[in-house]
Amino acid sequence: MNITVSHLSKKYGSLAAVDDLSVEIPAGTIFGLLGPNGAGKTTAFKCMLGLARGSSGGVTFGGKALAPPLFESIAYVPERDVLYDWMRVSELVEMNRRAFARFKADRAFELLATFGIDTRKRARALSKGMKTAVAAAIAFARHADLLVLDEPTSGLDPVNQRHVLNLMVNEAARGATVLFSSHQIGPVERAAERIAVLDRGRLVLEGGIDDLKSGRKIVEAIFPNESYSLDGIAGDPRVGRIDRSGRIVRVMALDAPSEIVQKLEAAGGTGVRIIDLNLEDIFLYAVAPASATADVVEGS
Amino acid sequence: MPVVLTVDPRSGVPIYQQIVEQVKRSTALGVLQSGEQLPTVKQLALDLTINPNTVARAYRDLERDGVIETSPGRGSFVKGDGDAASTRAAASDVTRRAFEGAVREAKSMGLLRADIDRVVDTVLDRWFPEER
Repeated sequence: MNITVSHLSKKYGSLAAVDDLSVEIPAGTIFGLLGPNGAGKTTAFKCMLGLARGSSGGVTFGGKALAPPLFESIAYVPERDVLYDWMRVSELVEMNRRAFARFKADRAFELLATFGIDTRKRARALSKGMKTAVAAAIAFARHADLLVLDEPTSGLDPVNQRHVLNLMVNEAARGATVLFSSHQIGPVERAAERIAVLDRGRLVLEGGIDDLKSGRKIVEAIFPNESYSLDGIAGDPRVGRIDRSGRIVRVMALDAPSEIVQKLEAAGGTGVRIIDLNLEDIFLYAVAPASATADVVEGS
Repeated sequence: MPVVLTVDPRSGVPIYQQIVEQVKRSTALGVLQSGEQLPTVKQLALDLTINPNTVARAYRDLERDGVIETSPGRGSFVKGDGDAASTRAAASDVTRRAFEGAVREAKSMGLLRADIDRVVDTVLDRWFPEER
């Protein structure tokens, strides 16, 4: 189920929690929504699912507006307060079985067992991480076309974190669309195909992770003396930022790094090398361009 | 499936490219033999905990490069009839890419073709002394 978000906004007073967000989430992808704490990820999910009052903009799911027939095929797991605290885990499973025709109780119990959860326990007796795991297990048993998971790996130990990611992979492999948020880079870098980065409510970066990694590189060159001209490079739209320290120049290539290499060589640069950027580098650059680049300059 | 592929998601090298290079290298080294079956897209995605579309993209690239062939319903197999030629082609591919990086660096440091030629000769002399 593909999702089209267009011009989604939500204001709290004068503060825009989500600011004109437009993004396309293709069917069958695992899509990671990244952003620092307070970037608007949770609010964006709530707006998309019609759970936030007073938001503007449009969202369609498989070309359709959100309406009751779609509820069966969308599984949403909020970040917190997801379970009725007084209910036993087994009762939560039963409640979902009654609510959703496609829900597979056997599958839910099987997943809960692999997370090591005692289903006789009441939700309030579970740790934060275990609550997350219960909510995820129930969602994965829904056989949904779209899963919207808000911080599904937060509070989980590495084993259960990997387990949740593998379940997401499994859902995508059967054709479901998985949209999840995280303030940690690791789970997104591993499991997601595409990402959107939110910062203070605004979309600052979007694309396929592998494509971003292929295109975004630091290109470093050394010039014979300090009188060199980067005129042809500074104006190139594929160049994000240029840092000079003496004869060393580091250029952030946003795309086509090998062409930036040629330009630097043509400008008289020698020892030109391409430095790979991982998702953390790319993320930091997107949310805090100045400090991220300072790190690159000092660290490499 | 005897060959265990690994990926490092934290690397700056795209995951699909890591898979492509590992399969090519394994083919060149004979670890993956012609006719051998690769895991399904879903299986490899689950084994590595990476998204299935990335595995599918790697397999498409490998198919385009003639390293594997995929037949619908049967799966993906390492191409070739066990002949030395396909193994040599894969090995040449791996070597060429490593060599290209070295030459690019040499050139950007100001070496001329003749200089690089001399370096290559020195290295070849060392590794193939009988053919000097």
